[in-house]
Amino acid sequence: MSGHELHPLVKQLLDGDITLADLPAELRAEGEWALRLLAGVDRTDVSMPAVTWRVMAQLERRRRRFLPWLLAPALAIAAALVIWLVPRTPAPASLVTVRFVLVAPDAKQVSLAGTFNQWDPQATPLVRAGATGVWTATLMLPAGQHQYAFVVDGARWVPDPGAPAIDDGFGRRNSVLTL
Amino acid sequence: MITLVALPLALLSMQQGTGIAQRLTGRVPPQIASLVEELGTAASARGLPIDPLIEKAIEGSAKGVAPERVASALRLVAMQLDTAAVALRDGGLVSDTLAIAAGEFAITAGLSGSDITALARTGANPAALTVGLRVAGTLAALGVPPAEDIGLVSVALRSGEPVSALLSLPANVQSAIAKGATPAQAAAGLARAAAAQAAHGPPPGRGGGHPPHPPHP
Repeated sequence: MSGHELHPLVKQLLDGDITLADLPAELRAEGEWALRLLAGVDRTDVSMPAVTWRVMAQLERRRRRFLPWLLAPALAIAAALVIWLVPRTPAPASLVTVRFVLVAPDAKQVSLAGTFNQWDPQATPLVRAGATGVWTATLMLPAGQHQYAFVVDGARWVPDPGAPAIDDGFGRRNSVLTL
Repeated sequence: MITLVALPLALLSMQQGTGIAQRLTGRVPPQIASLVEELGTAASARGLPIDPLIEKAIEGSAKGVAPERVASALRLVAMQLDTAAVALRDGGLVSDTLAIAAGEFAITAGLSGSDITALARTGANPAALTVGLRVAGTLAALGVPPAEDIGLVSVALRSGEPVSALLSLPANVQSAIAKGATPAQAAAGLARAAAAQAAHGPPPGRGGGHPPHPPHP
């Protein structure tokens, strides 16, 4: 029966739409043959482990290729947060020569303390110019704004009389220098 | 994803805490260091700079000020940083720590939040605005009233002059005061001159003017 085209009624029989008894007598032999053939078919599950492995491996590769795309937005947000939150460092400022002068005839020592030397009263002493009572210091300061005061005899904080001054928050005044 | 976003925040918080402690070690009493760390961490979380707090703590201790008074000054600085940040935000500038620190200085010098907002509304870029705020604070320290102060600095910022021109304003005002003008008169006079210059272009030899007309055929 190889290459034989089944009669439409036999096909209905195989499909279960009709029974063998419903077939005309001349088709019953063909119907019985077709049913025997169908009964001989092995209906156990087909197992193709190699194919399964290849398909799953392909899916895994696709998942791995997709993972960076899933992580990318998270990494971008994290990087943006770091950039946004890290305090900006100003560009290196150019240096400006500044001469500080205080007239203090009775002082035994005068120094300069300010934002440029961490307010250290010992860091920047002024030099007395002869017996005139004029104390001077020349510094190279970065361009920008500085607050400062003179420290007379290690104890008295005095604002620069030649410079604008603001409240220091402690009841005294700080001189302001904008370079 | 949440872990990745939270990690830099946590690391930065730790880094800032360590940075504050390192900068204050041996310079301020422990209770002041703790307060600066507390105020600094809170300020940092709100996008505010922490340097003004650290510097004020060091200054207070170097001057031998009692810790209670240093603490009050620190809380005032924190409050002024907040005021400056809000004022800048109202003027359209968000999250610029250098401008906020400059605004805090301007407030210390006597300007208000609305003065800072007015300068921010000039549309100057953050770097120029930062310098403008520091100059405005310096002018206030020279005794220039806020109206004339903001008027002068606004004209200078809008004219797009280089930063050096902005920085020369306090010296120019001081020079006029030395000649007998009041601080208000000095600033108003300079503002008028700057506005006139902006309207008619820079003086000869400074460049930036109109190109010469082509010769007639």
